[in-house]
Amino acid sequence: MQLDTAKMLAKIKNTQWALADIDWDAPGAELVTGDPELYAKLKVFMADLMWIEHVGARAFAAMAKKAPDDTLAEIYRYFHAEEQRHANVEMALMKRWGMLEGDADNPILPEPNINLRLVIDWLDTYSDEMPLEVLGSVIPSLEIALDGALCKFLLDTVKDPVCHAAFEKINEDEARHLGIGFHVLEVMGHGKLHQLLVKAAGNLLNPKLIIGIAAYLPLLNRMRDNLVKLGLKEERLYEAMNKYKRIGGRTEQGRRNPWFQIISHQSAMVVDRKSLYHVPVDALVRLTDYYPRRLLKATPTWVKGLTWKTAA
Amino acid sequence: MTQYLDKAPDAGRRSRKAADPSAVKVVEVLIVGAGFAGLGSAIQLRKAGITDIAIVERGTEVGGTWRDNQYPGAACDIPSNLYSFSFAQNPGWTRGYSGSREILAYIKGLARDHDLLPLIRFQHNVEALHFDGGEGVWTVTLTGREPIKARSVVMAQGPLSNAGFPNMRGIETFQGKKIHSARWDHSYDFAGKRVAVIGTGASAVQIIPELVKVADKVKVFQRTPGWVLPRFDFQSPEWTKALFAKLPVSQTAVREAMYWIHESMALGMIWNTPMTKALEILGNRFREAQVKDAWLRRQLTPDFKIGCKRVLMTNDYYPALQKPNCELISWPIANISEKGIRSVEGLEHQVDCIVFATGFEVSKNGTPFPVHGLGGRDLNAEWSGGAQAYKSVQVSGYPNLYFTFGPNSGPGHNSALVYMESQIDYIVRSIGRLAAGKLKYIDVRADAQKTYNVDIQKRLAKTNWNSGCKSWYLSADGFNSTMFPGFATQFAKQMATFRERDYRLV
Repeated sequence: MQLDTAKMLAKIKNTQWALADIDWDAPGAELVTGDPELYAKLKVFMADLMWIEHVGARAFAAMAKKAPDDTLAEIYRYFHAEEQRHANVEMALMKRWGMLEGDADNPILPEPNINLRLVIDWLDTYSDEMPLEVLGSVIPSLEIALDGALCKFLLDTVKDPVCHAAFEKINEDEARHLGIGFHVLEVMGHGKLHQLLVKAAGNLLNPKLIIGIAAYLPLLNRMRDNLVKLGLKEERLYEAMNKYKRIGGRTEQGRRNPWFQIISHQSAMVVDRKSLYHVPVDALVRLTDYYPRRLLKATPTWVKGLTWKTAA
Repeated sequence: MTQYLDKAPDAGRRSRKAADPSAVKVVEVLIVGAGFAGLGSAIQLRKAGITDIAIVERGTEVGGTWRDNQYPGAACDIPSNLYSFSFAQNPGWTRGYSGSREILAYIKGLARDHDLLPLIRFQHNVEALHFDGGEGVWTVTLTGREPIKARSVVMAQGPLSNAGFPNMRGIETFQGKKIHSARWDHSYDFAGKRVAVIGTGASAVQIIPELVKVADKVKVFQRTPGWVLPRFDFQSPEWTKALFAKLPVSQTAVREAMYWIHESMALGMIWNTPMTKALEILGNRFREAQVKDAWLRRQLTPDFKIGCKRVLMTNDYYPALQKPNCELISWPIANISEKGIRSVEGLEHQVDCIVFATGFEVSKNGTPFPVHGLGGRDLNAEWSGGAQAYKSVQVSGYPNLYFTFGPNSGPGHNSALVYMESQIDYIVRSIGRLAAGKLKYIDVRADAQKTYNVDIQKRLAKTNWNSGCKSWYLSADGFNSTMFPGFATQFAKQMATFRERDYRLV
């Protein structure tokens, strides 16, 4: 089913919200701070979640440059900002729960792990050069994992009403992101199949994309391990990935998109602990622990744009 | 083809009352607006021996857009020696690119030196024009005043004369100060204030460096980054001023040289050629040299061909953005709130003042006031699908009515005044023909206008303006009724010939 992107853009513009719309001082923070076990788990989880949103935001910025028409480009510009808003909200929640280090009025951003740093480096260097087919197919899988697994896990675990109020808004945004994400996924499946395959094969041979994949795969595995450690059921991830396959594959165009097929298969392997896929990828995770930090680029300034503040 | 009657059937009670020729004198030429175009037209008409002229001006002084645009840093992005009339050169320009005050002083000098002030009726705001084909007379309806009748009317009100706050969500709720760049409030003190500037076009890039010098904090909200090229500005040395004053031909030579340099820019700005690429490389290198941070540079990188929108000529915009008290915000604006601007990343940017550098309401699909031609036909309605004219100055069915900066006369690469002079010369010739032939009216033939526009639109399709970007050059549905697709020399050539066979002489 084709989506009316102009109507969607109008809807996006009509449903904007700001951090100031949430009462950050409302009671309920003690439901997190009063539970030391939950607090410790959540501190790591929230930092990871915030960084994933932020990395997703940068991908949308790259997609805005590749969009085939002005409306979709404008939608991606909004999504870029909305993902940043989500990361800001998550940082504000961390602030509310006292999870940020440093001065209370001037807290320090949590450090991203090495795999996140590598993905940030790659996004900063190469994402603007990536074709829309690649980013446009990967992003819905990340979004669905976020929406279908991480956020649900968070809301099941945390009883703080402010967290629920914030994620109600975030989830409404994410539903629109997914709507557009799957629409684009299908659009990318239009055209002659052999041409789509040749194009996908060509992209797969692009060394810049290969570096990106080498950065992205260990990040997924590290996150999965972190999440499982925190108590997230692996079935949740499995369900989310199935959802990607089900929705993305509901039309012929979606199924014809070679990137959809690649990501579906890769996702299935990620959630299958017994898959041989994990042998090299887990090795990569361990290897990246030894990645020399001096080889990392200086943190790009877009990373520093995160804030917990409602007004500036 | 629709046939129109000579007599206007429904020109309104006010006009009918004023149509009694014994009661009201018919002015030979009425000019709307006392800016560059209006005053230039009056000067050249007088030179041609047409002296029965009235100029109606809604403001209280001359100057048009240069009277209105007095924001800090306001200047022309065309060198002054070229942004002035060839028949009234000014040897005393103090800079290569003069500021708006100096340009306004030049315009005031034109009015004074050519004794135009007695012709001007200030605070006369035109509400409508009606043509009576039977008499061959235009009735000019004015706000709160008696109408004026005129044989010919020159619409010299300017394309960039109507400015207003944009229709942004929540704009009415903002409790702080709102200033539009074209209606600057000089009484407002920016010292120590937190200021937001909305827009990053030609006005904004001049305002921002000035605001950064005085304000406590300047937040620049950008929707689309434009191409920025260096401006080779300099203070005019005394010896050139003295030389130009003593030997005007030397200034003419400099003007000619500048004209041809700008003409050559058309090759890169108007059409997509290797020179377009060369100009883009220059723009990219300039940005790389001036902007150190990669992300900021990315935010400032345009995603359309150079020339598609107005190119910004400034050396101090990028440095101003990087001052510690300045911040570029490229997040979309969600709405304006009581305390400031909420952008989509979720923050409320609280400010004391919002400067709207959001441009003008350019009449692409209509006229600034109702214009009724032969048989009461309505120009606004006829232009609803996009404005069209014959050689930019006349419209079929609206005899003896002339436009300066009419449809498809905008330049993207050269001085607007060069185009304006060609139009004025054409208008003078046409009005002269009317007088010499003791004609009731001259009306351009519909078929001649159609042929002209078919050709213009065909040529426009190949230009950078029509290459896909959104700009004020295009209407909402992408029709280009503003720009002339060619060199200034081509425009001047088309205006140099007056083909009588393209007209109905009545």
